[in-house]
This record gives sequence, C-alpha cells and structure tokens, in this order.
Amino acid sequence: MMAYIRIVLALAKAYTLRFFRDKAALFFTFLFPLLFLLVFGSLNSGNDDISFDVALLNESKTSFSEQFVEQLESSELFEIDSNVNDLADARERMGRGEIDGIIKLPSGFGEINDQGQPDGDIVTYYQKASPQSGQTIASLLEGVLEEYNRQLGQPEPLLGVEQEAIETTNLSPFDYVFAGLLGFTLLSLGIFGLANQLPAEKKTGALRRLKASPLTSSQLILANMLYYMLVGLISVALMFVVATWIFDFSMQGDWISLALWVVLGIIMMFGFGLAIGGWANNENQSAALTNLVAFPLMFLSGVFFPRFLMPEWLQSITGFLPLTPVIDGLRMIMNEGRTIIELGPELGLIAIWTVVIYAIAVRVFRWQ
Amino acid sequence: MNRMSDTIITVKGLVKRYGKQVTVDGLDFEVKNGEIFGILGPNGAGKTTTLEMIEALRPIDAGVVEVDGIDVAKHPHKVKQIIGIQLQSTSFFDKLTLREQINLFAGLYGAEVDPDTLLADVQLSDHAKSYVENLSGGQKQRFSIAAALVNKPRVLFLDEPTTGLDPQARRNLWDLIAQIKKSGVTIVMTTHYMDEAELLCDRIAIMDKGKIITIDTPKNLIKSLLDRGFSKPQVVEQANLEDVFIDLTGKELRD
Repeated sequence: MMAYIRIVLALAKAYTLRFFRDKAALFFTFLFPLLFLLVFGSLNSGNDDISFDVALLNESKTSFSEQFVEQLESSELFEIDSNVNDLADARERMGRGEIDGIIKLPSGFGEINDQGQPDGDIVTYYQKASPQSGQTIASLLEGVLEEYNRQLGQPEPLLGVEQEAIETTNLSPFDYVFAGLLGFTLLSLGIFGLANQLPAEKKTGALRRLKASPLTSSQLILANMLYYMLVGLISVALMFVVATWIFDFSMQGDWISLALWVVLGIIMMFGFGLAIGGWANNENQSAALTNLVAFPLMFLSGVFFPRFLMPEWLQSITGFLPLTPVIDGLRMIMNEGRTIIELGPELGLIAIWTVVIYAIAVRVFRWQ
Repeated sequence: MNRMSDTIITVKGLVKRYGKQVTVDGLDFEVKNGEIFGILGPNGAGKTTTLEMIEALRPIDAGVVEVDGIDVAKHPHKVKQIIGIQLQSTSFFDKLTLREQINLFAGLYGAEVDPDTLLADVQLSDHAKSYVENLSGGQKQRFSIAAALVNKPRVLFLDEPTTGLDPQARRNLWDLIAQIKKSGVTIVMTTHYMDEAELLCDRIAIMDKGKIITIDTPKNLIKSLLDRGFSKPQVVEQANLEDVFIDLTGKELRD
C-alpha cells in the first residue's frame, strides 16, 4: 500500500513541477478566472449607485394612488422595476439584491375621507439586514408626501409612510457572479485541463513511456487527481483573495465546509475531464467532446448568469445538471452560512454524477 | 546459478493479429542470459510488435512468453519490474530536468537510484539540469537508455536505438550498449543497420513478414552464406566512405 502511494506521489510531484514551470498554463489556470471575476464582478457590484431600485405595488384603486404612481414613475427618485408582479415576487427579488426595497400602496390608500381629502399610509418593505436603505426610501417618500400634506393644509399630516423590515436571503448580484465563477474555475480546470492533457500525452508518447513502467492506470488517475486538487485549491483561494479585497466579499459560512465542497466539485469535474481525455486519442476528438459537455454546463448551470433568470421549466431541468448543485452549494455556504451537512440534496446530486462519470471514465480509458 | 538462468527469455508460438492480418506469426526463440540479441528485418516485419509483446505493452494473441521464468501475459507487472524499455520515438515529459525525470522513473519503480551517477554513466552529467526537449538526438537516446536503467533491469530492450543519429553519436551509443552488456544486463535490440548488428549482437534473428527466417551468430550466418557458394564482386577496399567521414570529422561526440 505504501509502495502504491509512493508511486502516486512521485508522479503527482512531477506533474505539479511541470505545471508551475508552464507560464501559459499558469496564466490560463490562475489569471483567466481572476480576470473574469474582475470584469463580471465590476459589472455586478453596482451597490453604490445613487438611485434606488424599488418595486412599486399599487393595490389601491383610487385615482389619487394612480396619480401618485405616475408621479413616482416620472420622478427620478427611484428606479422602478416594472417586472414585479406581486409581493412574493418582489420579496424574492429583494433577496437576490435586484431591488433595494418595496413600496406598497395598500388598498384604500388615497381614499377620500370625511373632509373630502385623500388619506392613508404607504408601506415600505426593506431588508432587515440593511435598515439604512429602508430608512432612505422612507424619507424620500416622505419628502414627496410632504408636498401633498402641505397643500392639504391639515395640522396632522394625512398621508404617511410605514416601514416594515422583512427577512430575506440577502444576496447581492455579486454573490451570484462569484459562486458562478468559482464553478467556472472548477469546470475549466477539470474538463479543459485533463481533456487536453491526456490526448496530448498520448500523442507525444509520454503516456506510453509511463506505461512501460509498473505504473497502473489507477495510479495515473490518482496522481493527476492530486495534482488537479492542489491547483484547484490554489486557484479558488486566489479568487477569494480578490473577492475579499476588491469586492468586499464577506464569508458567512465556515471555511471547512467550503473547502470540502470545492474538493468534491473538483473530484466530480475531474471525472468529466478524465472520461473525455481518457477516451480521446487526439485533441480533435477531445476538443469536440469538451465543447459538447462544457458549454451547456457553462450556460445552464448558473456560471455566467443566474438560473433564476430562466423560465420555470428550464430551471427545473437545469437543476439536475452536475455543475448546478456545486454552484448552489457554494452560494449557500458562502452567503447563507450553511454547513455541508445541511446541503443534502446538492450533495446527493453531486454524488450520483460522480459515480456515473467515474464508471464511464474507467470503462473508456485508453493508454494510447 | 541454476540451469534455468542460461535462458532469460523464452518465446513459444507467439502470435499477433490485427483483424485478418497476422503481424507476428508463430515465433519461437530464446534469449540467453547476458547476451545481446538482435532482431533484424525490413520495416513492417513485426520487430516492434514482437518486442512490445515481450515487454507486456501489447496483448499477446497466442503463444507464451516468459521473462526470467515469469509469464508475461499472466504477470505483466512483475515483468515490468525487472525489465528496462527504450521505446522507438520515445517522448518524455517536458519541463522536467533530467535529474527530475530520473527521480520520477525511480519513483515509479520504487527504486533507489542516484540520478547523478546514472547520468554520468551515459555521459549526461553536464545536462542534469537541462530539459529533455533541449537535448540533441544522441543525447535523447542516451537519456532514454538511462531512464530504462533506473530499476537495474535484468533485460534491457532497445528499439532501433541508433536510427536517425549521426555517425559519431552511433559509435558512442555502441560503446554505451557494450558497456551495459559488460555489467551483466541482457539486451534485446532491433535495428536496420547490419554493421551495428554485426558489431554488437551475439546472436541475431532475422524477421520478415511476421516470421523468423533464421537465428544464429553473425559469424555463422555469414559463414553459412559463403558455404552455399555466395560471392559478391570483390573490390578490395581498405576503407569506405564512413571511414573517410569519421577520419575527417573525428570520433568525438557532437552534442
């Protein structure tokens, strides 16, 4: 057993040495995902813009409320998200950080009272975690209402604002981008890396030379897995450094759960690369197959855009893709502070895919 | 030493088929302990395929091969432990120094080896820190042989070791092969070059179309041809063009 492991370590060491001497490999492995992170991160960390994104729900049928809505829409105080259908939808969007607050004109708002004047309170909802945005929205609204109240000329203002805090998941667009790009890193490392490397080694004959020694295929696979694990963990660590420094990422969960999750993700994605690269005899075969596997995962698993943007039916299908539970799990650990034990369904899905892909990989593996 | 140790490789009825084509067609031969055994033949004769079946690199379709008493088909791993292989058109990993490569291969065999001694044996001490991709053809071949010696093999297989080398590098490699033989390693090699076979090999098998036509010492093969009344137009030349080339350019190795 010790002899077996020593052989694996000798080969893993050789692979790692070579990797760190290969400038192109270093660039594509480490810097490429970081560049993505910088670009997509900057596009999606627009939290410091001045206008507030809100959902406006008008449940009142009064002409006053309609007039009020028109006024809000024409004013530049708020960026009103017009796609919102109801309160539940609005809450979900607020949870994802798409909007900063919800303005509701409750039924009866603006109804004419005994004095022949409009009356009622607006309700605003804000995230419990960010009371300052709730406060700002409320005071902006109060500013608008003040004008009306003055015209109405009553000693007690008739129109007011009620604030209500609600608890949501509190995710920012950046959180989705970050988890997605971590998934991208694991995907590209596992699939693109190994699916290119093995056919190239077959072509040059390096793999044949290894086969002339007592090295077994399981040792070859384990050595590569160790090497990819090391590279993957370094790559992910670098992304966390950039996310923390540049995008003020703050970790909600525990690092051990996260590290385990990353390791599981690498093992599974490595299986895909192994199946493709182990089967393919040349780079043409592997390139075609790599694209066939990698592109759907890239666009349907929430790598470059979140899955909640997809229609319902597509969301439920793409939920079963292998990379989806990896990315969802990362987000739940990082942003919602869950531990690995609480991620049963995701873990189960990853386990199934891992077993399936390794069963295929072992069957189709060829040394030459 | 027991009686068995006279013969180190036994090949009986060895066959390799690709579809309907029979590449290796029922070979029988033995290799004696400590000799250099040459397999000669034109391209496509089945030399490399034969070698690779003995080396446990290619499945055996029929027949039995034993190396040092170990059945190759049954125990490929045990056989790989005691043999060294220099493949035709070998490629090593790039971006690894020769020293690191030797350590890697030693690691794959679980063998302890001093890379510097081994590299000195093949005159590559100066290149211990070079990458394989920066070596010349002759240096590559010598390194390839060094890598095949990490496990102190009982049998060393050389597949066309001097193909593509300049005359100096060839001569240099012949010296190296003779030196390895002296250290007690049995060598099985293939070649296209008759001068090489005549100079190095104790015995020769000539192969054509998957069959062995004859096996004997180079001397006996020439003698039996002459005995059959063969003669070629005698031009008494005390030197040939290669002698001129070596005389003009020297024996010194150009790396």
